[in-house]
Amino acid sequence: MSKISEQDLTLLYYGEHKDPDLASVVAQSEELSARFKALNDELELVDAYQPPERGEDYGAEVWQRISPHLGVTQTKTRQRQSRQLLSGWWKGFSRPRFSTAGVLGLVLAAALAFMLGRNGNIQGSAGIESGPETVFAGIDSERLLASSVSGHLQQLNVGLTEFAHTDTPSAQDAEWAMDMLLANRLYRQSAAAGGDRRLAGFLAGLEPLLIELAYEAHAASNTAHERMRQEVRDDLLFKIRVMNNQLKTSQVST
Amino acid sequence: MGDAEQKTISAAARGDRMAFRQLVLDHSHAMFRVAWRLCNDESIVEDIVQEAFIKAWRKIEDFRMQSSFRSWLHRITVNTAMDYLRKQSRRRQFETETPEFETAEMAELPRHDVQIDIRLQAGAAMQKLSDTERTALLLRHYEGHSINEIAQILELTGDAAKQTVFRAVQKMQIALQPLLGT
Repeated sequence: MSKISEQDLTLLYYGEHKDPDLASVVAQSEELSARFKALNDELELVDAYQPPERGEDYGAEVWQRISPHLGVTQTKTRQRQSRQLLSGWWKGFSRPRFSTAGVLGLVLAAALAFMLGRNGNIQGSAGIESGPETVFAGIDSERLLASSVSGHLQQLNVGLTEFAHTDTPSAQDAEWAMDMLLANRLYRQSAAAGGDRRLAGFLAGLEPLLIELAYEAHAASNTAHERMRQEVRDDLLFKIRVMNNQLKTSQVST
Repeated sequence: MGDAEQKTISAAARGDRMAFRQLVLDHSHAMFRVAWRLCNDESIVEDIVQEAFIKAWRKIEDFRMQSSFRSWLHRITVNTAMDYLRKQSRRRQFETETPEFETAEMAELPRHDVQIDIRLQAGAAMQKLSDTERTALLLRHYEGHSINEIAQILELTGDAAKQTVFRAVQKMQIALQPLLGT
């Protein structure tokens, strides 16, 4: 047998050496035995680095803390299954991912309705005679916009919560972010055209992150992911939920 | 991995929360140990364990039964802990004074407290290893993972994993040798 190295002895210590005869070779050599004993003594000291004890109920405590967060973290198969099961008008608002064509159709309809209605109101306020139909059209389109943006924010809330717990975003996540970005822009333009600067400003504030998610997230470094996740966790989710609540309240009060 | 655990994992992958709860109960202690030995900071270890389990729930259907579920969980824990360490390191760059681990302070410990001294020195030596070396050593020495499993967890070749464990052992030997005389 060739010279026994420290690496051989370390692998022997951990039971990983490929030569089954090495143990007996070491045992028969005084010099090797001494070296192996020294290694044993040193590695015994490594055992002193022990974590603080956790009680028997530790697993149950962890479960209690995480279980409220598992509801929003459906796996891909479950998402697919729930998509297949979903039907009805609320379908588009209850799932985090949807097709570009679908969202564009929805948003364009909402935006068009809002802008037409708003123009009716503007004409009315400029002194041109406006009948009850245009006034109603204006009110409906404002509510339609609030309702549509609320649905949009709800989808962002679900999708971004998921992103906040995603290790590595996929191309599918990028596609979702692109859908949301396009929808967000249209809603922003509608809000701006309707004179709701606050809502338009809020929606504009979401776009930088959506752009990053759409174009860079799936190829970005871990550091960049973490920064984005932190921004979502610490800032955006809170703002989105607050704005969504305000929109819902405004729908009830109008 | 036994048949019972395979069934539990399959059920969890189908969305059975109670099955996943069982996995949490079975693996929490080990995940805490791994996270603690990597970070040595109780204030963030609980967050790491929780986040790792949430990630595991999200990804459990991607788990392949051919590999060890324990290794898979430990890989998620290690990656989560590494993220935290990177974040912490960034934060420290903005701090004017970063407290170093006080080895001099440890040297002044009373002689009758040798056990504490050894624990602190072992901890200090571990923290001086690179993240990869520390991870490889803790997975091999404390958690009993094979070199092949460590290679998978750290995404290294078998030879690189072996070298990393060996390098970590050598550094620990050098750091702890002076204590053998006490």
